[in-house]
Amino acid sequence: MQKEDYIKRCRELAVGSGFQLSNYVLSEVRGYRKSKSRKLPVIWIETSDSGDNNIAFMNTTYPYLGQVFTDLIDLLYSNTFMAAQGQDALNILEQAAVKLRGKFTLVVEGAIPLKDNGLYTIIARTEDRKLTALEAVTWLGPLAEYVVALGTCASFGGISAARPNITGSVGVRKVLNREVINVSGCPINPDWFVGTLAHLLLYGRPELDNLGRPTLFYGFTVHRHCQRRSYFDQGQFAKELGDIECMFSQGCVGPKTGADCPYRQWINHVNWPVKANTPCIGCTNEDFPDGSSPFFTPLPEKND
Amino acid sequence: MSKKRIMFSPVTRLSGLLSVEVVVDRGVVSIANAGGTMYRGIEHIMKDRHITDAIYMTQRVCGICSLAHGAVASYLLDELYDHELSENAQYLRNIMFAADILQNHIRHFYFFSIPDYVKMPNQPPFEGQNLIDVRLSPQDNARLLEHYFRSVVASQECHQLLTVFGGKAPNQHSFVHGGVAVAPTADKVNQALSLIASVHTFVKECLIPDTELIARVYKDYFKIGQTPRRLLSFGMFRFGTKNQLSHWQGGMLTGNKISALDIQLITEDITNAWYLPVDGQVLPAPYKPGAYTYIKSFQYAGQPIEMGPLARMLINGFYRGGTSTMDRIKARSLETLLITELVMEWLGKLVPGPPPIRQKQKLVQEQAVAATDVMRGSLLHSVRLKDEKVEEYKIITPSNWNFSPKDKNGQLGPVEYALTGTIIPNPKLLNTILGRIIRSFDPCINCGTHVLNAKGEVTDKIIF
Repeated sequence: MQKEDYIKRCRELAVGSGFQLSNYVLSEVRGYRKSKSRKLPVIWIETSDSGDNNIAFMNTTYPYLGQVFTDLIDLLYSNTFMAAQGQDALNILEQAAVKLRGKFTLVVEGAIPLKDNGLYTIIARTEDRKLTALEAVTWLGPLAEYVVALGTCASFGGISAARPNITGSVGVRKVLNREVINVSGCPINPDWFVGTLAHLLLYGRPELDNLGRPTLFYGFTVHRHCQRRSYFDQGQFAKELGDIECMFSQGCVGPKTGADCPYRQWINHVNWPVKANTPCIGCTNEDFPDGSSPFFTPLPEKND
Repeated sequence: MSKKRIMFSPVTRLSGLLSVEVVVDRGVVSIANAGGTMYRGIEHIMKDRHITDAIYMTQRVCGICSLAHGAVASYLLDELYDHELSENAQYLRNIMFAADILQNHIRHFYFFSIPDYVKMPNQPPFEGQNLIDVRLSPQDNARLLEHYFRSVVASQECHQLLTVFGGKAPNQHSFVHGGVAVAPTADKVNQALSLIASVHTFVKECLIPDTELIARVYKDYFKIGQTPRRLLSFGMFRFGTKNQLSHWQGGMLTGNKISALDIQLITEDITNAWYLPVDGQVLPAPYKPGAYTYIKSFQYAGQPIEMGPLARMLINGFYRGGTSTMDRIKARSLETLLITELVMEWLGKLVPGPPPIRQKQKLVQEQAVAATDVMRGSLLHSVRLKDEKVEEYKIITPSNWNFSPKDKNGQLGPVEYALTGTIIPNPKLLNTILGRIIRSFDPCINCGTHVLNAKGEVTDKIIF
């Protein structure tokens, strides 16, 4: 339908009785949405991390997890959620990679150990073979339409690559010669991840910052939007955890951390670390955790 | 049917990465090798860090039980700094801890276990379920499926409750050494009461009847996946100004006898794990011949031990029953109900006031051990410091015990024991049966495979 026709019809119905206008608009919108309905096919590989990002994902609200499965994504392979197990699960992975080549989104949750041929993280075994995280990601990465690194381990190495990094772990971008969308966080706020998936589905590739992260979520520092910014500006600093003043004195790395925690907040948007009277430890950062450590030491005096 | 080696991998619907190799000999599992296939080395990462980093760092060992590590690390630091905990701090800590356990248990039952018994819709992420042994009526099946999706909200509410006080979840911020950094105010208590009421209703109306239904329909699983009656708990929910009291008692249950614990009796063994001694250190060795896991084996008084909700419920006299697949599931659901009631009770004990935290700046000792039961069993952290920095940090997780590989004497860990001897009436049922047994232990391989004793001897070393 052309825009002009639509507006004309709306004008006519605006003076009609009952709910003619809303009935008309709703049925048109439903029809449009149905014709455009498509879900994002996702293959989700868990590599070297703690699994906190899949738990964080379960905490998504509006849409809740069930709605994400029914309306937003076709989660074809996921060690956490899939009903299939054993060889059946591996078959699904192999078939999806072939059938949806160039169409699926690869989500990698965790860092990639490189040392000893990547044997520190084995995704699956067969009688004669070990499929390492390194092999799985270098196999699936080039076949995917988009690659999303989920969490700070997957994005930059994170805790898995913290010093002394005896497994030689790196972020996904270091093993793939292609663009990787980094959704960092330890764990991620579910809005960052579900929002990124929604962007890919509805509008394609989101705008990324110089670390490959959607600017929509990581574009400003925590410090810039912090509720306690006025305390910082007036030089009023917390003396200990639990105080209501600025947490810079308690090790807060909000000034160097790109994330929207202060206004988005966590778990149905009810709280975040500074509101809980503790410092931001910069879990979305490229240098997390070593660049934030010791966590309770003021930023200028930290190790790295 | 002759002897056949089968690799069950990946064992999906759990935390972490697990492969289990079995040998099936004339329809019976004759050998089971449970393999955790991920190694991160958190104990190496802890070395040389300031001790106050331990709470936030060790929470990152595990996503589904993050607060458990933060809690044990907090107890450890409380001892190192000789903190005094106020009553509000004790209640708040246990409320938050309980909320994380509720989240874990509800998600384990619905997201991880239910697809072992309930026919799921043939759409992602449930395609290829290949569930052959379907026994629920279509009506019951449909109801449990609906509860799967209701559990999404209930488990989210558990983490929302935790976050009202903790700032975020997983990896909360306010439960730290010296107390809790957030004030228990009327608005927060009220929000938490509303959330726990909703969770309690879900547990009472869905989780408990669903568990009973599955236990009735699949009652043969009271005989499948049994272990020797040797279970251990460190007790759970610490109270007292020095964390010296435990709301639920710990102990060692052998048969029907409960004895007091002695952590000096814990030993570790790397015979079948991918580790080797190098220059006085035990280091990962992924090419070690014959080994099949990054999980070390642990023994108490020389024997493998099972732990988890079943151990707690048996030791505290809340549950009477055996040590089978279905007993583990029933005990976990019962515990979930009891914990919702505790949270309501503890919320009623909070007295509005300032953040109940007081952190001292000076260490009174340089070594400490802290242990408590958490979601899956007994969790232990120990540390040795020099100049406030970590020289050695050790973590022994519940899945280290339950998923122990065979030790130097060939003793089977609890999961391997539970699998061995299992009858597989039809080869097509293999994964279904193995999966049910394995998941009843609530595997957490993220946790299980971090452990490394930096200055260990090769085997059979007493670690304290």
